[in-house]
Amino acid sequence: MSDFIQYFFNGLVVGCIFAIAAVGISLLYSVLRLVNFAAGDFLTLGAFITYFLSVTLELNFFLSIVVSMLAGMGISWFLELVLWRNLRRNKAGTLALFLVATGVALMLRPIIQFVFGTETRKFNIDILKTYDFLGARIPQTQLLVLIFASASILTIALFIAKARIGKDMRAYANNPGLASVSGINVDRVVLATWLISGALGSLAGVFQGLVQGQFNNAMGETLLLSFFAAVVLGTIGDAYGALAGGLLLGLIMELSQLGIFFGGVPSNYKPVVAFATLVLVLLFKPEGIFGYRARKV
Amino acid sequence: MEAFIQPGFWIFVLALAGIYGVFSLGLQIQYGVGGIMNFGHVGMMAVSGYTIAVLVIKYQWSFWWAALLGVVLAAFLGALLGLTTLRLSGDYFAIASIAFAEIVRYWILNSDDTTGGTQGTLAIPSPEGFASYTGQPDVILNWISERLYPIIGDEASRDLSMVLIVWPFFFLFIWISSRLQKTSWARVLRATREDDDVPRSLGKNVFRFRLQTLIIGSVFGGIAGVFWAVQFALLAPEDFLRIVTFYGWMILILAGSTRVKGLFVAAIFFGFLYGATRFLEFWPLSLLSSPERAYLRVFLIGLVIVLLMVKRPQGLFGKRQEMILE
Repeated sequence: MSDFIQYFFNGLVVGCIFAIAAVGISLLYSVLRLVNFAAGDFLTLGAFITYFLSVTLELNFFLSIVVSMLAGMGISWFLELVLWRNLRRNKAGTLALFLVATGVALMLRPIIQFVFGTETRKFNIDILKTYDFLGARIPQTQLLVLIFASASILTIALFIAKARIGKDMRAYANNPGLASVSGINVDRVVLATWLISGALGSLAGVFQGLVQGQFNNAMGETLLLSFFAAVVLGTIGDAYGALAGGLLLGLIMELSQLGIFFGGVPSNYKPVVAFATLVLVLLFKPEGIFGYRARKV
Repeated sequence: MEAFIQPGFWIFVLALAGIYGVFSLGLQIQYGVGGIMNFGHVGMMAVSGYTIAVLVIKYQWSFWWAALLGVVLAAFLGALLGLTTLRLSGDYFAIASIAFAEIVRYWILNSDDTTGGTQGTLAIPSPEGFASYTGQPDVILNWISERLYPIIGDEASRDLSMVLIVWPFFFLFIWISSRLQKTSWARVLRATREDDDVPRSLGKNVFRFRLQTLIIGSVFGGIAGVFWAVQFALLAPEDFLRIVTFYGWMILILAGSTRVKGLFVAAIFFGFLYGATRFLEFWPLSLLSSPERAYLRVFLIGLVIVLLMVKRPQGLFGKRQEMILE
């Protein structure tokens, strides 16, 4: 039982992070039809900027997070202006969007390495302090991440549901032509989507860095496919779905280590659980848990 | 500057170009003809390379049979990938194919007893105590070097022997593939790339055509894996990261995805990029340490991909009209 609580709690924490990263990817897909292969490296970037500000420059930790989110937004904005806008104008196909996103990831990674180095990093927060809860060992950092991450998730969900630009985004995703003739400013919607995904990337990166305790420059890249799995699980392009898919995937990955499932999946195979979930969902329910299957004519 | 004018450098570039040329030829058939976006191509290379290493070192197979089985297994993996996920639309399939290749790599990474795990093939337990699998191909490579030595002296290296073996194969495969692309089979495929329903209405089984393309491409990926395994004589899981697939894609889009004959020029460009970031010593490269050069390589490859897709999506030799089909 204490095992179950332990894994369930870990699953919730990991799931919240997946949810935050996945919702950014899903929004981008719904608005731009773009699979953002660079999303993982935005996490790494966020974690490293926060590290630089809070540990090297000894600034306040929360202020550092905010600045790193602003940096994530800034870089996304820059890329939208110099890159994505041109590609849209040239009517770039799926492959071009894929490859450019990958190219951006390939360029971002060495830049992070050049600027911040390759050493393993650790935030200035006591990662050893733990609480006992019904026999499970709950580290303080994870508890904090769970609280702040679930607050962020609620904020995101409210924002998409209620804020004007959130509604515009959903309208545009649903029917781009109709949205633009009814007076929605397309460039503004696209820009907002990039800004949101940039900010969420940094935020998820900081959370992930906290949960791992220590992190290096491969952190985000390693997680990228798990985010895709979460996005597909929650129906690709559906923002609420991505939130749910992220949580669900986190729980699946952690609970798969419980002894009752074939003696438990060894922890080094955890990423494989995510990849396998991705492939299985694509195989049997490609429309995701919330989607409906378009009728094949 | 010295390395730049040394024949040894250019011979290495050519050897690498040949191997990755064959690799991206597989992608060329899949995408350029069938419109399939396979981002897990590196998995095929990993499967054939590791099949050789494991069978030769651990079970004392002959290298040649192991290589043959390696290519067959790569084709089999292609079939498995296709049968399970090829019915998905383009971007879903691309994501699924990455996941496939990553599952292969994680299995290699975590099966220490069979594959040597993180330490690579050197750590494969061998009854003879020496974990090398290139004994048999080395006999041939040495034979070539010995014949060349009286003529060109010290330049007769193992790399040169590799070039002399890989490049004829590369040209042969390019020839086979360009013949293949003039058949009615390829015409049906090109039709499926643009619109599924037209060939379907003519009674063509679109799925079967696509599956065949995927398998043929995977065979080339597997053959590239055999060459790779011989060239480097040692395999490790980090040799088969996702990025290797994008090396292949860079070559392909540089050549223009529908232009099979541009491949060898693009492959040499890639070989140069790879070799230069690894060996060249002149300023400003001389300021960088070797891991920093590895990042520089990744950065340059990313840059080439982005610039090509923004400025010249049809590649150096392609026609723009053929790109805008999607």
